[in-house]
Amino acid sequence: MHWINWAIVVAYLVFVVTDGIRKSKDTDTMAGYFAANKSLPWWVVGLSVMATQLSAVTMIGTTGQGATDGLRFVQLYFGLPIAMVILGVTLVPMLHGSGVFTAYEFLERRFDAKTRSLTAFLFLLSRGMSCGAIIAAPGVVFSAVFGIPLAWSVALIGIPTVIYTMIGGVQAVAWADVKQMFLIVIALLAIVAVLIFQMPIAPDDALRIAGATGRLKTFDFSFDLSETYTFWSGVLGGTFLMLSYFGTDQSQVQRYLTARSVDEAKSSLLMSAYWKIPLQALVLLVGVGVFVYSQFVRPPLLFNPAHEAAVSAERGAAYDDLQAQYANAFTLRETAALSVADAADDATAATAMGVFLAREADIQVIRGEALGLAAEVTGESVTDVNYIIPRFVLSELPLGLAGLFIAGVIAAAMSSVAAELNSLATTSVIDFYRRWVKPEAPDAHYLRISRGATAFWGLFACIVATYAATLGSLIEVVNRFGSFFYGSILGVFLLAMIPRARGTGAFVGLIAGMATVAAVTFGAPSVSFLWHNVIGAIVVLAVGVAMGDRSGA
Amino acid sequence: MNLPEQAPGPETDFRRTLIRVLVTQVVALALLGLLQLRYHV
Repeated sequence: MHWINWAIVVAYLVFVVTDGIRKSKDTDTMAGYFAANKSLPWWVVGLSVMATQLSAVTMIGTTGQGATDGLRFVQLYFGLPIAMVILGVTLVPMLHGSGVFTAYEFLERRFDAKTRSLTAFLFLLSRGMSCGAIIAAPGVVFSAVFGIPLAWSVALIGIPTVIYTMIGGVQAVAWADVKQMFLIVIALLAIVAVLIFQMPIAPDDALRIAGATGRLKTFDFSFDLSETYTFWSGVLGGTFLMLSYFGTDQSQVQRYLTARSVDEAKSSLLMSAYWKIPLQALVLLVGVGVFVYSQFVRPPLLFNPAHEAAVSAERGAAYDDLQAQYANAFTLRETAALSVADAADDATAATAMGVFLAREADIQVIRGEALGLAAEVTGESVTDVNYIIPRFVLSELPLGLAGLFIAGVIAAAMSSVAAELNSLATTSVIDFYRRWVKPEAPDAHYLRISRGATAFWGLFACIVATYAATLGSLIEVVNRFGSFFYGSILGVFLLAMIPRARGTGAFVGLIAGMATVAAVTFGAPSVSFLWHNVIGAIVVLAVGVAMGDRSGA
Repeated sequence: MNLPEQAPGPETDFRRTLIRVLVTQVVALALLGLLQLRYHV
């Protein structure tokens, strides 16, 4: 990458760390460090909520998914506005008004210590690992694309994040999120502008090509439990997923606990309700645009440069042969795509489209063979979706904009990691250290421990990220384990709103919910994970209510 | 005598916001639907 692009990345890193620390006030008290003294305006909290959810995976993985699979992924978010509305009248007033630092602390006040400790422990386990995975995803891509050791790219994201999170607490995280969110949106719009100005065909023709390859199909109304992305799984399963994430996950709850009032906390969530679906559609449309653009400007056969080098070194002759076939097939497809754009009437357009789709299928066969070669050589299962956008950015974006986009990817990773480190440290200290180890101590003592906990979780996440390739299956196990209890924890919080529910019922319900989801996962593996949250929450509610106090007192 | 109009309470205000959210989301989905109807083959 050109030094000017690197300079932009470095300038961003220096700015975000210094500004995050500068914006932090009263971080010498627990209320200041963990909850910003409930002083932040709704728009800061709202942007922080959005930045926390939007990770580097969105910037490089979801855009890549748009390029290969189109818009249908956006259906996952159809339940989000509904969830935000429900949270605005249920959990947000309850949590914000109770004066707690963590969502799990509230559960002890409502139920008992064992329910609090179990939910907090499950959060630490899953978020600790997922934090590593969030750093690993861009880290692995940067390592391959820039040819730097993985440890360096992990450090590039991890070290600055730990510094400002450790020093400035939740305020530094929130104010940094505001700038990071702006940078992310500008980076995405920069790609959109480049696509519009450099696309060799008219926008209407570009959309026709995208539509012909199925990439503009957003809605799938089939009711199929094994399909993750359908309208119904998005509306029903997505609502439960978003209720769990925004309502019970400390990495999000801690964001809106910093709002000045309950109303401002509600408004901060409504910002996501307004903007998440349009933003996600924009992210996917960027990928769709890159796909259409790649009909006219030949992209590499293998997007991962590390795989490209490995295959060239070990199976050079076979790869050269595939490259020659690819060059030829690309020219034929480009001609077919131009014929689609130039067609004068509907009949000619239909014929041209048929030829284009046949040529596109040829390219997919050749690409599949190249991926097969890469899998043989590396001994890994190979997908290169995450490399499509970075390769496009580095080869097609003008000087400066490429650096801006890379800074945007780092910003997306940092904003998610900072919120997770912040919430992991808060839960470690509030729900375990202060609860079980040292209940009475001055604020200064807890703050020292909190900064140490942030550093510990940062180091833990960086180690997980550095060994992500070898820990791959372990991370998958933890993620799967996470899906066992996400809906069940939501069930416990919903139960908290039912007067007759009691602590033992909540605890037994939580275990029953997780066990049921585990049974469904292994007994009916075809059922999509989105439905697991629905099942878990309903089982907890049923068990909790059945075991509740029949007097209703 | 002209009395100043009473400001809406937080409940009313929030309900209005919710309606606005739902309306904007339906519009966003309708745009995506139109894109699909127009171009998806």
